[in-house]
Amino acid sequence: MTGLSPLKQPRPLTVATDESGQPVTVVLSGRRFAVEHVEDVWRIDDEWWREEISRLYYRLLLEDGRPLVVFHDLVRGLWCEQSY
Amino acid sequence: MRIACVLIPHFPAAVERWRDPALRGRPLVIGETPDQRKAVLDCSPEAEAQGVRAGMPLRQALALCREAVFLPPHPSRYSDVFDSVLVVLEDFSPEVEQTSLGRAYLNAGGLARHYEGELDLGERIIRSLREATGLVAGVGIAEGKFVAWAAAVTSEPGQVCTVPAGKESEFLRPLDVSLLPASPDTLRRLDLYGLRSMGDLASLSPGPLQAQFGGEGMRLWELARGIDSEPLRPRRHEEVMSETLRFPTVAVSVEALVVACRRLLVRLHWRLRGRAARRLRLRAALWGGRSWEKTLTFHEAVTDWERMLFIAKSVLANATLPAPVEELTIELSGITEERGRQSTLFAEKAGLRRQLGETVRQLRARWGRPLVSRVVEVEPWSRLPERRHALIDYEP
Repeated sequence: MTGLSPLKQPRPLTVATDESGQPVTVVLSGRRFAVEHVEDVWRIDDEWWREEISRLYYRLLLEDGRPLVVFHDLVRGLWCEQSY
Repeated sequence: MRIACVLIPHFPAAVERWRDPALRGRPLVIGETPDQRKAVLDCSPEAEAQGVRAGMPLRQALALCREAVFLPPHPSRYSDVFDSVLVVLEDFSPEVEQTSLGRAYLNAGGLARHYEGELDLGERIIRSLREATGLVAGVGIAEGKFVAWAAAVTSEPGQVCTVPAGKESEFLRPLDVSLLPASPDTLRRLDLYGLRSMGDLASLSPGPLQAQFGGEGMRLWELARGIDSEPLRPRRHEEVMSETLRFPTVAVSVEALVVACRRLLVRLHWRLRGRAARRLRLRAALWGGRSWEKTLTFHEAVTDWERMLFIAKSVLANATLPAPVEELTIELSGITEERGRQSTLFAEKAGLRRQLGETVRQLRARWGRPLVSRVVEVEPWSRLPERRHALIDYEP
């Protein structure tokens, strides 16, 4: 059996949110970074017929000027980072 | 020659019932759901008793048999189970011919001496098949394939029918002419002439039959008299190479399937080592436990994996797979002997490619695993980033 290894796999991430559910801080490499600005928000729903995928994506600008894309997995309740 | 015909009627339905005992005794129709514009592949005897036939539209089958259970077909499953049937039969005789799913012939010449006669041989075949596959076969033993088949088809499942040599005509006499391998038009015309049984046909002289039906008439007259010189064509054991790829998530696009095909064919190409293949079988395990397969026979044996990919790609582009693909397998068969290849005179690029390939192979030999990968597009249009690209081992 041989296989394909998908690229840009989601990586779990620790995220703190405000009352509205928007990310306010993220933990990267053990360090906490404040979210300077939420640049974009979009939602992806797919494969409802199989293993449902429902994600709320955020394009963030962190306090050190670095851009980051994270999503909230609405099915499993997890936060993940992902290259988009 | 004494031939044994082993018959498992309604093979696909029998396999489905063996897998799911809850289906036993219920009318079963195989061939998708009745809302689809497709034909019945097979049905159980209960459904057949209500008028359902293979090849009729599924809607018509539903109209005839409202309480039938409709199942999607699993062609890979049926061919795998039938392969196990043939392996069991090869324990009895090295000469086994497979004609269609559920029907096989074996050379029974001299075998009865190893058992307590032909009846015992047939019963042991039935028992062995039941133990190995759970399926119930009927067995007919006679001179020639047609009479052996007629004996098997007229016996009950799990029973053996033997026709002694010289008694073929007598055995066939009361049987219906519809058992003859004739076209529907010929059968209709035989009925119009009032020729209903094989005895009716056999009692005629061959001349008028040949005048009415041409070569087919002569052949039918011979068969009705039990004269069948068609030889047994034992299956050959040939080398089959296969590679399987399981998708990380189900593949819904042709592009993803083509990427997988490419990967599998490159691996198979290296295993071929310069030899060529005549047949390529694509098998897909589909989401929901279903399967799909397609066999391609090349006009001439093909060595070049890119040519195989081109052909596979055109098949996949035109195929309508009934569900997303979880696993894809490619099998190559009809593998020829090694043959020479003409090198190109101006081979600078080819030389570089060969050097690169050699380096990659050395790295793999040194570390015991592939170290060089290549990025391929899988579903570049996908909204999910992890579906767009994947890494595959670089195969030089």
